Amino acid sequence: MAVKVSVIVNGTRREVADLEPRLLLSDFLRDALGLTGTHVGCEHGVCGACTVLLNGDSVRSCLTLAVQANGCEITTVEGLGTPETLNVLQTQFREHHGLQCGFCTPGMLMTGEDLLRKYPFATDEEIREGLSGNLCRCTGYQNIVAAIRSAAAIRREQTQ
Amino acid sequence: MKPAGFDYVAPATLDAAVEALAAANGEGKLLAGGQSLLPLLNFRMTRPAVLVDLNGIKELSFIEKRGDHVAIGALTRHRDIEHSPLIASDLPVMSAAMRHVAHLAIRNRGTIGGSLSHADPAAELPMLAMFYDARLAVQGPGGRRTIAAKDFFVDALTNCLEPEDIVAEIEFPILRHDGWAFEEAAKRFGDFALASVALSIRRGASGIEDARVAVMGVADTPLRLGDVEKRLVESGIDGRISDRFAEWVASSVTPNSDLHASGEYRKHLLAGLAKRAMTTALAMKG
Amino acid sequence: MSSDRLAQPADVLRPRHVGAPIKRTEDPRLLTGRGEYTADRKPDRALHVAFRRSEQPHAKIIRIDTTAASATPGVVAVLTADSIAGDFKPVIPFSRMSSYYATPIMPLASGKVRYVGEAVVAVIATSRYLAEDAVELIEIDYEPLGAISRAGAAVASDAPLLHEEAGTNVLIAREFKKSDVDADLSAAAVRVSGRFEMTRKAPLAMEPRSYTAEYDARRSALTLYTSSNIPGIVRDALSESLGIPGNRMRVVAPDVGGSFGSKGSLYPEEMLMCIAARKLGRSLKWTADRLEDVSSSSQAFAEIVDAEMGFDSNGVAIALKADVIGDIGAYSIYPWTCGLEPVQVVSFLPGPYKIGSYRGAVRGVATCKPPTGPYRGVGRPISTFVTERLMDLGAKALGLDPLEIRRRNLVRPNEFPYRIASGIIWDKTGFIECLEAAGQTAAYDRLRAQQTEARKQGKLFGIGIASYAELTGIGSRIPAAPGMPINTGSETAKISIDSTGAITAAFGVASHGQGLETTLAQIIADDLGASFDDIRVVQGDSDAVPMSTGTYASRSAVLGGGAAKHASALLQNKIKRVASHLLEANNDDIEVSGGKAMVSGTDRFVTFKQIAKAVYSDTRTLPVDAREELTASYTYDPINGTTAAATHIAVVEIDPVTCFVHILKYVVAEDCGQIINPMIVDGQVHGGVAQGIGAALFEELVYDDDAQLLTASLVDYVIPSALEVPNMDVVHVESQSAVAGGFRGMGEGGAIGAPAAIANAIADALSPFGADVSILPMTPERIFQLIKQSKSKAEEKSR
Repeated sequence: MAVKVSVIVNGTRREVADLEPRLLLSDFLRDALGLTGTHVGCEHGVCGACTVLLNGDSVRSCLTLAVQANGCEITTVEGLGTPETLNVLQTQFREHHGLQCGFCTPGMLMTGEDLLRKYPFATDEEIREGLSGNLCRCTGYQNIVAAIRSAAAIRREQTQ
Repeated sequence: MKPAGFDYVAPATLDAAVEALAAANGEGKLLAGGQSLLPLLNFRMTRPAVLVDLNGIKELSFIEKRGDHVAIGALTRHRDIEHSPLIASDLPVMSAAMRHVAHLAIRNRGTIGGSLSHADPAAELPMLAMFYDARLAVQGPGGRRTIAAKDFFVDALTNCLEPEDIVAEIEFPILRHDGWAFEEAAKRFGDFALASVALSIRRGASGIEDARVAVMGVADTPLRLGDVEKRLVESGIDGRISDRFAEWVASSVTPNSDLHASGEYRKHLLAGLAKRAMTTALAMKG
Repeated sequence: MSSDRLAQPADVLRPRHVGAPIKRTEDPRLLTGRGEYTADRKPDRALHVAFRRSEQPHAKIIRIDTTAASATPGVVAVLTADSIAGDFKPVIPFSRMSSYYATPIMPLASGKVRYVGEAVVAVIATSRYLAEDAVELIEIDYEPLGAISRAGAAVASDAPLLHEEAGTNVLIAREFKKSDVDADLSAAAVRVSGRFEMTRKAPLAMEPRSYTAEYDARRSALTLYTSSNIPGIVRDALSESLGIPGNRMRVVAPDVGGSFGSKGSLYPEEMLMCIAARKLGRSLKWTADRLEDVSSSSQAFAEIVDAEMGFDSNGVAIALKADVIGDIGAYSIYPWTCGLEPVQVVSFLPGPYKIGSYRGAVRGVATCKPPTGPYRGVGRPISTFVTERLMDLGAKALGLDPLEIRRRNLVRPNEFPYRIASGIIWDKTGFIECLEAAGQTAAYDRLRAQQTEARKQGKLFGIGIASYAELTGIGSRIPAAPGMPINTGSETAKISIDSTGAITAAFGVASHGQGLETTLAQIIADDLGASFDDIRVVQGDSDAVPMSTGTYASRSAVLGGGAAKHASALLQNKIKRVASHLLEANNDDIEVSGGKAMVSGTDRFVTFKQIAKAVYSDTRTLPVDAREELTASYTYDPINGTTAAATHIAVVEIDPVTCFVHILKYVVAEDCGQIINPMIVDGQVHGGVAQGIGAALFEELVYDDDAQLLTASLVDYVIPSALEVPNMDVVHVESQSAVAGGFRGMGEGGAIGAPAAIANAIADALSPFGADVSILPMTPERIFQLIKQSKSKAEEKSR
């Protein structure tokens, strides 16, 4: 059985036919679309490295079939900002040294974006709770929390 | 770690889904939020021939008040329950429990119908279904029928459904209570519970008039502790009530030991959580 | 050539890069998904590999039937040990150690399997999905040979032998001795002892191991992209094993998603990928799934230590005796050998203390588990755990405060260099300074007062201290692993200014999160006098960098940094020589900074770009003999290495209901010498401590008695998430070391101190029960059992 998947990824319509229904969204993004910024760390939904936004909500792309994303809008880390013009959250990750090896970072950023949107007034404890589904082995989280806290403050200022 | 092959159908109505499931001759599997199913598929611990994706069935996603019940469509996502003002006001124990359900991204995707059908003995929603004495409306080839939560959970990861049944919606009776608490301990926040207690009470002049108690993580299914509820109603409220409650709760269970904790520790933990729950519930204004 | 503008004050002041929290060069690409990790490679028409791994802990392979697998759609080849037998030489983790048996490393299990998860068959197909379909259809008949799951069982007289040729399951044995420890122990005023255990852990980098072998038919050349932190060692080993010269065998470590030791050895899969790519003439990709990564990457610790310490009546530790048994798993690893982890435990047990006599004996025994290998801290997380527990037990027995007993035992400033009883030499470091700084930052006295109050309210409130020292940036005099024939004592920097004036600095040390692209460029910016933004640091590509053993053992800042300083100085001299021609000034009057060479005290300068043009393109400006290539390389060897030290203080409260440990406060005072980038140093400490918290409270690879791994998923192998790691206070004691630049290595330290500090804090919190902490992790279950046992003991006594 083959399926066709048509999605809008980072604002661009992408369509791929002849896919197996079992293809995971993470593999679809990485292999079929070449968007390797989404990382695969566990494929059982614990580490959070593969988190992307599906119709605006953070989801595990390893726990979603590509075919389920048909007709949806997806944002991956490639859609946030460019190396020359990092977005607010990316900038704060850099300012606060919120990344080391960078492997969990795309998932942290996508979760962070969802958090900032849904909980713009989150306390440190709430930020940590929101991040609890994203594992990082390098940073000890302290600087990631600081980056998100700081990005939240900047976004609040900007929207005022 | 990639799933084995399967066919995929995405029906637009519940009836079509039942038909598709029946057509799979027992080789079909329902896909709702997929947050428990996809890991099993990836590990190849389950290998259905057909996956019937319910996500296109709009009629299954709702939260609505029906008299003294709150009805929740099976495809309602955890985060919608978590953020629902109706749930917060009418099913406060459920509302409080939702933040313990896994993590942000999982709650964005996971559904109540999926969680109940998966019947994990350490998951919050099956416990809440027991706690509220929920009734599950189930659609099968023969039409719709309702199943009480107490009959639904048969064993760990096992429900009473026939292979072609689909949970359509769940009705939760509203408890007119004045004190409640939800306590849970997990190794890491959002992990499956080591143990958990849900408690709700209504107080009157003579003490507790009505009580509801459920626990999880300590048996193969979530448990409602009817005997403990009865003893609470018979017992007055005094300085020792929390301790007695803890004792009753602990003596009602005989948890097994596993990789993460011994039965003995779980019992100790459950007693401590029960005590905390009662203290919290009593601190609420009657 | 001169400028028409006056020198700005900033040019004169020369902004220093070393010591400044400069934002990382790596970040823009990593923050936007533009990094390139091994799995991101997209070679032409690549095939995908999946492995059939052993379900048996120890068994003879009787028959492998690959017929059905070979006939599966998309399958291109199915390889077994037999089908590749002539394609390579086994790799031998050689060592000059006596009492050591080197087990050969094979790409696929040959003859028998020795642990669950060992690769037996490789399937190569057009997609990973199809390859996994085929893996399921392989039939293997085994004859079980008896599992060895525990170190104790391995040394039993009737134990089956994992490697018959070795004649024993004890693959390594060593002893360190100084003075008469038994006599000193008998003479001691107080003796404390215990049996301590650090359970087996997974390094668990977030990026699973990943390899892409790219075959170039035109040159019959192979390029292996690997998630390795020792690409140079991997290249040389593969070249030797496959018989491909280095100019056709290239190994590249691109962006690497953490290692913590798990990517610091040669792996059978790296060999297999290259063998298969050459055999098929195709490019191949493989990335471990998480189960494969946990169950086949090198693991950590797994030691049991029986130790005893004797103190005189003043609280001075005079003698230490230890017997260590290490469960090293099924194989020795390349190049470090199976001695790396267990031997390091006995090397470092005396720690930063002046203990007079010592005997440390160690045996590393083979069991049916994946090999243990490097893990952040190597040996010292457990040696520090043991020694620091003994210090606290001694303090308790003597009625001394834990801070005070350390004060009495640490090597003091005037006593360096100091040779500890195991033979390690500490160069001058701030041991005492770190202890005092940690005490001050934590407000130690106030904490003790707070504890008294908390205890009155029945709270389980504990304060734990751990001091330790580590030997970092080790030079050629000390092999990184015992008896290892590879020189790990030097590193080379090669810095060039090309014809456009751009600077490329090539290093063999390979970053996997440490930010070396930034820190090495900081050093070069200062010492070469270059503009930071003009420097590109190249790493990890055997075609582009000098020979190197890689990044491990807290060595890259010291060795890479030292090489950078020296090479920068050599290149700066060349720049001065050219500039002196161009500016018609004396060599000694040229000052180089910010990418310009200037005549001191004047406004006359030339830029690097102008210098490059003069050297490479504009043949009229320089005499022929002055046109030397603007490149310099230097191989730096710190000979002995340098000491890094720290004191950690952890404050915990234990919830008697859940038995969960809540870390209320965490302070680190550390001495890593001259700090290159304080932001990065703090980040390393945070991450190390978080990992130590995992080791102390959560992480344990549980194998059952049949040597089956019960914790292969991230649901069961629990690493800390954001809620389990507290904010930390990190303070720095920057005592300059004697190596180039005054640096000390510091990548591992956090993970060394944290388990011990937390263990001591838990023991302190539980001291009302008189409970002892002797095994890590201290899970809620273990704390529950400790409290229960102590309570029942107390009840027995009161009866």
